[in-house]
Amino acid sequence: MFDKVEAFYRPANVREALRLLQSGKGQARVVAGGTDVVVDGDDSVRFLIDITHAGLSYIRRRGTASVIGATTTMAELEASPQIQSLAGGLLCKAAHSCGSMPIRNLATLGGNMANGSPAADMATPLLVLDAAVVMADAKGRRRLPLAEYLGNARSNRYARSLVVEIVIPDPPRGKGCRWSFQKLGRTAVDISLVNVSAGLHLDSRGRVKWVRIALGSVAPAPMRAPGAEQRMTGRILDQALLAEIGAEVAREVSPISDARASAEYRREICSVLTRRALEECSAPAGCSL
Amino acid sequence: MSRDRLVVGRNVRKVDGVKLVTGGAAFTDDVQIPGMLYGKILPSPHAHARIRRIDTRKAKALAGVHAVLTYKDVPRVPHTTAGQAWPEPSPYDTYLLDSKVRFVGDRVAAVAAESRAIAERALALIEVDYEILPAVLDMEQAMAPGAAVIHDEPDSTKIYDREHNIAGYILREIGNVEQGFADSDYIVEREFRTQRQQHCPIEPHITISWLDTDGRLVIRTSTQVPYHSRRQVAMILQIPVSRVHVIKPRIGGGFGGKQEMLLEDICGALTLATRRPVKIEFTREEEFYMARSRHPQRLRMKMGVTRDGIVLASQLTVLATTGAYGSHSTTVQGNTGSKVLPLYRAPNMRFECHVVYTNNPVAGAFRGYGCPQGFFAQETLVDEIACELGMDPLEFHRKNVIRLGDTDHLSAQLGEGKEGLPRLVRSCGLPQCMERAARAIGWAQKRKSLPNGHSHLRRGVGMACTMQGSGIAGVDWASAFLKMNEDGSFYLQVGASDVGGGADTVLAQIAAETLGVTLDKIIITSGDTDITPFDVGAYASSTTIISGGAVKKAAGKVRAQVLDLASKMLDAPVDKLDCGNNEVFTTCVCRKAVSMTDLAMQAMYKEKLQIMDGASHFNTDSPPPFCATFAEVEVDTETGQVRVVHLATAVDPGTAINPMQAEGQVEGAVAQGLGYALTEELVLDAAGRPVNANFLDYKMFAAEDMPKLTTILVETDEPLGPYGAKSISEVPINGPAPAIANAIFHAVGVRIRKLPIRPEDVLRALGAKRAANLEEEALLTP
Amino acid sequence: MFGSRGVFAMKTMELHLTVNGQSLNWSIAPGELLLDVLRRQGYFGVKRGCEKGECGACAVLVDGKPINSCLMFAAQAEGRHVLTIEGVAIDGKLDPVQEAFLDHGAVQCGFCTPGMVISAKALLDRRPDPTEDEVREALAGHLCRCTGYLKPVEAVLAAASKRKNRARRVKPLTEVSR
Ligand SMILES: Cc1cc2nc3c(=O)[nH]c(=O)nc-3n(C[C@H](O)[C@H](O)[C@H](O)COP(=O)(O)OP(=O)(O)OC[C@H]3O[C@@H](n4cnc5c(N)ncnc54)[C@H](O)[C@@H]3O)c2cc1C
Ligand code: FES
Ligand code: FES
Repeated sequence: MFDKVEAFYRPANVREALRLLQSGKGQARVVAGGTDVVVDGDDSVRFLIDITHAGLSYIRRRGTASVIGATTTMAELEASPQIQSLAGGLLCKAAHSCGSMPIRNLATLGGNMANGSPAADMATPLLVLDAAVVMADAKGRRRLPLAEYLGNARSNRYARSLVVEIVIPDPPRGKGCRWSFQKLGRTAVDISLVNVSAGLHLDSRGRVKWVRIALGSVAPAPMRAPGAEQRMTGRILDQALLAEIGAEVAREVSPISDARASAEYRREICSVLTRRALEECSAPAGCSL
Repeated sequence: MSRDRLVVGRNVRKVDGVKLVTGGAAFTDDVQIPGMLYGKILPSPHAHARIRRIDTRKAKALAGVHAVLTYKDVPRVPHTTAGQAWPEPSPYDTYLLDSKVRFVGDRVAAVAAESRAIAERALALIEVDYEILPAVLDMEQAMAPGAAVIHDEPDSTKIYDREHNIAGYILREIGNVEQGFADSDYIVEREFRTQRQQHCPIEPHITISWLDTDGRLVIRTSTQVPYHSRRQVAMILQIPVSRVHVIKPRIGGGFGGKQEMLLEDICGALTLATRRPVKIEFTREEEFYMARSRHPQRLRMKMGVTRDGIVLASQLTVLATTGAYGSHSTTVQGNTGSKVLPLYRAPNMRFECHVVYTNNPVAGAFRGYGCPQGFFAQETLVDEIACELGMDPLEFHRKNVIRLGDTDHLSAQLGEGKEGLPRLVRSCGLPQCMERAARAIGWAQKRKSLPNGHSHLRRGVGMACTMQGSGIAGVDWASAFLKMNEDGSFYLQVGASDVGGGADTVLAQIAAETLGVTLDKIIITSGDTDITPFDVGAYASSTTIISGGAVKKAAGKVRAQVLDLASKMLDAPVDKLDCGNNEVFTTCVCRKAVSMTDLAMQAMYKEKLQIMDGASHFNTDSPPPFCATFAEVEVDTETGQVRVVHLATAVDPGTAINPMQAEGQVEGAVAQGLGYALTEELVLDAAGRPVNANFLDYKMFAAEDMPKLTTILVETDEPLGPYGAKSISEVPINGPAPAIANAIFHAVGVRIRKLPIRPEDVLRALGAKRAANLEEEALLTP
Repeated sequence: MFGSRGVFAMKTMELHLTVNGQSLNWSIAPGELLLDVLRRQGYFGVKRGCEKGECGACAVLVDGKPINSCLMFAAQAEGRHVLTIEGVAIDGKLDPVQEAFLDHGAVQCGFCTPGMVISAKALLDRRPDPTEDEVREALAGHLCRCTGYLKPVEAVLAAASKRKNRARRVKPLTEVSR
């Protein structure tokens, strides 16, 4: 499969990695956990650049944000106390759902984003958390909103850049803030047929102060549901609103039919999972549901 | 010999267990042979095409390529890949390589090269000009006038009606079904559909072949049928059987998929062409494309009952597709009738079946062998009838199922591709199976009331009863050979093929029990055509009863020789002797004894006698094992997902020679049955190409998906089996699908008659039911 | 050898790693997968079931953690400690997990067994007293077509309690020796 590969590099820092990527002239491929690279089995690859020694495995606080290095594995995310206490453990839950234990010991957060799959399970929780991606290329570093990055991850635009880290600004906190990650697969270990993340901040009277809804596997890239979010803001969350939001997200998504599920089914599940996510977010807050 | 059994009926460790848990080099691929080439098959990209021109020059010119074979280079011998006893009932419609391809994945050419990478590159260099033919992909269209003829070659034989793509046709009737329906108070007829399920052994098919120093072709292969493979390879390659040696090492699962000769012939041909060792192994993707699957069927079932729920007539009409080749076509489908309908004591039964060719992946033998399809239809229909009559399905079963002393006459009409033999039920634990599994699931309470408030999660329970056979009556046979070693141990040689189910252990237990020695005193070699005597192989639930019968007979003869010598040594008459605990002892008060070791030394060095003997064995009846499956499910009415909460399976296997292994067979079959019910299907696109040829999208159950399992062995004493054993490995796979479908009905009131039961289908059915209810309400309100 | 400076484009490279406690030095192709290299070197207990990370038959421990060796480039194992099934039994003495697999009938064809045993061992090293759910989760990456998973799960739970008992027995001794 990779028998035409001529060299395997293990750069010790980002600069070196970028230099190798540059000199690979399009025939170099970055490897982090390799769980997507190997399965893809791209025959045109001549150089492999293993970035897991480039100093990108970390989970830190920086000012009012959490910062996760690109090569942090799913297993490391799950086990991190800092990530467990962030947004009610939303990212831990999502990381835990990414494949089996042997996969999660390899698979990285950066790889999950860079691979650009619409079903990437880490994407929707990060969208809900207003995360940003820090990229590096020959010209330097820059920061992109995650949604923008995901929209282009499958294009050639970032071919000569690296995802360095993911920055998560501190989300709203407090009694009325809740989070939910919902994933529907055919079996326990599965690629999402649909996944939904939600973050909800209710005021003391049960009115929606702030809300984020993101859906995966139902559009070319993981997406926010701005229409639904707008409709909710300022309103009391009750069954009628939930039904309305369920219908709204079903309108906002554009799923396809494939071997895993039909578009019709995915659309219906979007409503169900969104409702369940919002219910989970609102239940302990003691609102009208 | 009336003592307690010391080895049979005990939970002993697998005799080959240690090498398996330590990762010992035990499987086909666990050898390195110097100079071994890597073989690879070029698969057809088209469902139906003729090869106009094929040019292998570039591939042959590639450095490291040693052979490229096309149909022009090999003998043309019509055969079947089905590993069945000669003369195989399956059509001879397959060729080593052919100028026509009949499904996506069909063999076009084969290469042998110095590495996998070179072999793959060589495949890409083969230039093929295809004349693409219209393909028949829908089995409903296969017999239609004007449909493309898939087997238009004149030299294929045993095809029922090639002009209409009919590989096989079956029609059998006992009693008078029309009369039966006329006498019935209540008749229900429904249509069911089942899917293409794959075996998915974790070890894909693999074969390594080479020429030994005498120039004989040695084939080390992952097979359930070493002897049939030897015969077929010799015929296809046109060399004498004596020039072929097949070795079956440890096998990483078969489930019927390896009762099939898929690689041995082409691998052998490459070895003959190159004079070099060659290995061919399927990748997982190739396994999905090129290996076999369970026959998809459309079943129409009709049943007539009296007012008080007695079945008077049943009729099953089946359309099945065997894909591009007729491997196991009529025999699998025959079972759909003969092993399924006679579960009920109806005096009138009719079974009709068309098995058609399509340009789809090839179906074949698969654990259950036609029964899972039939029982899905029958047991779902019966549940519907019982519910309509207001009768507890369990009560309906109690009233109608076959009993001890009954004769199943349909089997007499439907044998292995010909007339069969009537089946007499000489042992039957079905009533206890039903009662005990019902108790385990909490049937009585749960049928009446389940805590289904207003939640979107709704629970229900359902049941199914099933049966199978134990070997093919009058066809399957086996042999065994035993010789005594100087230390009082015995060397057991059997042709039987342990494919992971633990046959070696069970056969060694039978030998040890008969000879009165501990299990460690039996050394077993199995499935090597040079070393071991003949056996048809591991299929049709035959190994324990047929191969075990041969071992018991052989061991009995050897035991007689042991006792003869002991009688001399102990100066006691044979009828006053017994063996046990590695010695022979007198049964009278004097309690004299001689150890097996001393006896062996005496035999070999004093008497100049090798204690040894062999025996062959077959049965003229196929005693049915019985099974009751009870399921509790939870249906999510918003997503349509079905979670099986608890599955209880009670099986009557006759005597369980090794209860722990027997339970393992049940649990493994149940896991496959759960996948069949809910998640597993090889899906084809509009061009006949599999779209989910990997484990990420072909969904088998994993450890986290399994429900709570209860396994109950209801032991009976089968007169035709060694130590009372029948069989166990197949029957439990039949029950999960209908039991789950019935539990879903109990939970949410919708009948699903198509497998697998996908969440989408449940959701759609729930939607339809809701719409119908609304309509009804609208009609009722003025 | 081929650190950040190693920009030599050659078709083979050196790999230094430890396998089952043995320090080794192999010549590999840069694109080779760990599974292929291990099998070529005779570690036949590492099985090939799908080559896509889906079946777990190829699992080994790298620095104590289970991974699918079919998804890891061999070059990524540079300097690391690999444990294959061949290294689980020490001097012919089976690990409690292996013993329990035999005693509980958790082995049928045995093709998935090395992977399951390796993952179970890693679990018990990390969590000596796991719940049934944790065991099922740890085995979720290992497809087994034979057993229906019940007996493997029972075996791992039994091994856990056996290891616990052994640990209890062993403890005073270590205190004395200190
Ligand atoms: C059996 C199996 C099950 C899976 N289950 C799930 C699941 O449930 N949910 C899910 O979301 N995913 C799943 N995946 C997919 C995969 O594991 C994840 O997407 C994983 O996070 C990818 O990370 P990686 O480090 O392995 O990526 P790699 O394979 O190393 O890389 C993926 C892609 O990103 C590029 N890349 C990696 N890191 C960077 C970087 N820092 N900068 C720029 N480019 C980079 C690579 O060049 C490559 O193109 C599964 C995969 C397998 C094999
Ligand atoms: S072979 Fe590696 S997971 Fe299947
Ligand atoms: S024992 Fe055969 S696959 Fe697990």
